Amino acid sequence: MGKNGYQKQVMEIYQFISEHLYFNRPDMEVKGERFNSAILLSLLTSLKRGKELIIGEPGLGKTTSAEFVSSLIYQLPLGVIWGSEVSGHPEQTEEKIIGRPDLGKLNRGEEDVVWTNFAQIPVKIVDEINRLPETKQSMILDGVDRGNWEYLNEMIINEEYCLFATANYQDGGTNTIIAPLVDRFDVMVESRYPGPNLSFLIAKDRRKDHLLRHPQYEKDLYHILKSKIPYEKKIAKIEEVSNAYGEYLQETLGLKSFRKQDRDRICTEMESLELDLDASAFTRMLLAELSFCDRYGQKRVIENCEEGCHYTGYLCHQIKNCASNRLPLSIKQYAQGLTWLLDDSEIDMEHIKSIAPYTLAHRIQWKEEVLSQKERLQRDDPFPIFLAKEAVIAVSKRYREQSDHLKDALAVGSRIFQGDPLQPIEGDHPLYLEIKKDIEARRR
Amino acid sequence: MINPFEEFKSFSPSPPDLPMDQIVQSAEAVMDRIRWGYEKLLEEEAKELVWMVQYNTIIKAYELAERYIMEIDYTAEDIEEFCFALENTRKIPYLIPGPAGIYISALCNYSKEEEIVLKLSELKTEINLIGFRLPKGKRLIIEGDTGDFTGIGLEGGELVVEGSAKNWTGAGMKGGKILIKKNIGLHTGEWMMGGEIYVGGRVRGLGNIVVGMVYVRVYQVFPGKVKYPNLYY
Repeated sequence: MGKNGYQKQVMEIYQFISEHLYFNRPDMEVKGERFNSAILLSLLTSLKRGKELIIGEPGLGKTTSAEFVSSLIYQLPLGVIWGSEVSGHPEQTEEKIIGRPDLGKLNRGEEDVVWTNFAQIPVKIVDEINRLPETKQSMILDGVDRGNWEYLNEMIINEEYCLFATANYQDGGTNTIIAPLVDRFDVMVESRYPGPNLSFLIAKDRRKDHLLRHPQYEKDLYHILKSKIPYEKKIAKIEEVSNAYGEYLQETLGLKSFRKQDRDRICTEMESLELDLDASAFTRMLLAELSFCDRYGQKRVIENCEEGCHYTGYLCHQIKNCASNRLPLSIKQYAQGLTWLLDDSEIDMEHIKSIAPYTLAHRIQWKEEVLSQKERLQRDDPFPIFLAKEAVIAVSKRYREQSDHLKDALAVGSRIFQGDPLQPIEGDHPLYLEIKKDIEARRR
Repeated sequence: MINPFEEFKSFSPSPPDLPMDQIVQSAEAVMDRIRWGYEKLLEEEAKELVWMVQYNTIIKAYELAERYIMEIDYTAEDIEEFCFALENTRKIPYLIPGPAGIYISALCNYSKEEEIVLKLSELKTEINLIGFRLPKGKRLIIEGDTGDFTGIGLEGGELVVEGSAKNWTGAGMKGGKILIKKNIGLHTGEWMMGGEIYVGGRVRGLGNIVVGMVYVRVYQVFPGKVKYPNLYY
């Protein structure tokens, strides 16, 4: 474990949540260690300040898992987190999500904004985001994308924040989350049924959330959030109470939580981790398959593959849309988080292979024939995550077959960019053609 | 312009180290050694590209062959490969059926495998002296036909020829079994001192057999009614 012991602290929080708050079965394995994807990815979302979409059946802990994780990582009592959640329903308004006019001041002819807790605290949880109309979904995600919350002519800037949004599977009361909005989520994970035996234990212990409650600190925090002091000063005061709550957690539960400076340091440590050459080449290969079209230059959702295309065996032939520029960012961010947590020095292929399915699952639009072909296959994951895992396995097989050749092609590409009079290396994968395109663009 | 491949600038690919390449490489090295032994044998024993089958020339050639192959670590597949290389590569200058057969026999006798199958049905030349001194415990199966002197001096092994064999088969054999699925030529079992010869087809003629048994299909022809050598059946 790292010398400052942060990784150990995170793993202790993971264990505590697993054993006391969110009973689960591990469903993913990374380098021989088994994890529950919902807790692991929520921890990484909190620490890496990402955006996570949690899907699942009603009542299977989508929201509570996010609440527990963020309470322990951000040292915020559960009551405050509950009080700052946005719940998705069609009548939800900007005033309840972001802020409203200060009516007292408005009566006096002054314009001032009363910001919601949601806009102010770093943990943002949107319950049932797909019950929100698309415009409201967009409003939240715009705010979270930039960290800016604007109302009237005022603005507050969140320096540190993460987003958890939950979504039930489609039913009569849900709207779809439109593709551009879905793309803004870094990862999608399922909160799964833990099995009848663990579920039975959950029913026996109904008051488990009291462990993370603290009425006094909750009142103090509410008081600060409601106060009229500038937002920057509020943050400092919130941090003071949070630290006190962190000490309370350590005394009562034996859990060491993270102060703001700890979280900043963790982020810096994660940011410093880079992909090794295999991880980089593999990620490029994956991105190439998710964006390449030999006929039309790139994937476009409005265009169909040509009959008898040479690249029929690759992912590009199975999908409709093109990978966005947010995808590699999500892969890298979460792979950094995982690498840091496992205390590895570099991001390698295993990290990428573990994370990639969760970054792809909600972003890929599969062709109908692929969906109907694979819908009935035996699986343990929800269909989109299953398909994404299959896709990553297929690409990693292809990578294994030609990793050296591919790295050589990339190395030659680099030398050509530096001015060496070489010819790009040929190969049977979309990435070789993409390398050629980059080289041609440079030559022109 | 940004170099999108910057991180690969220091990558120097290692030469491919595929398992198949290693196998091919090691197989080629073994084949080179086997070929070298054969060439040395030819140099010593067939200087004029003529080789007379005489008792002492066979013994001498076999002793030389033994010496060359003792240092080689080879498998039954390598022997088969060598048989084909005799006809199909330019690396081996001459296929002289006598020394080639002696050399192949020595390879079989010293191979690690107890059972060796040589698929020689594609060869245009029938190799002589196959199965020379095949020891006890070894089973040599030839898919295809063999030439003269097949299984001579057999020392307890089992030689199976899926096709036909020519003259002098089993001559001087001391023990063991020879099975010829099809036909066999003249002088079969000449000076045979023990063992059995089974023939599935026709025998053109027996030699002067001292001790041993010869069967044609289901009939025992020696010891039996046959009194004179080279009797036509």
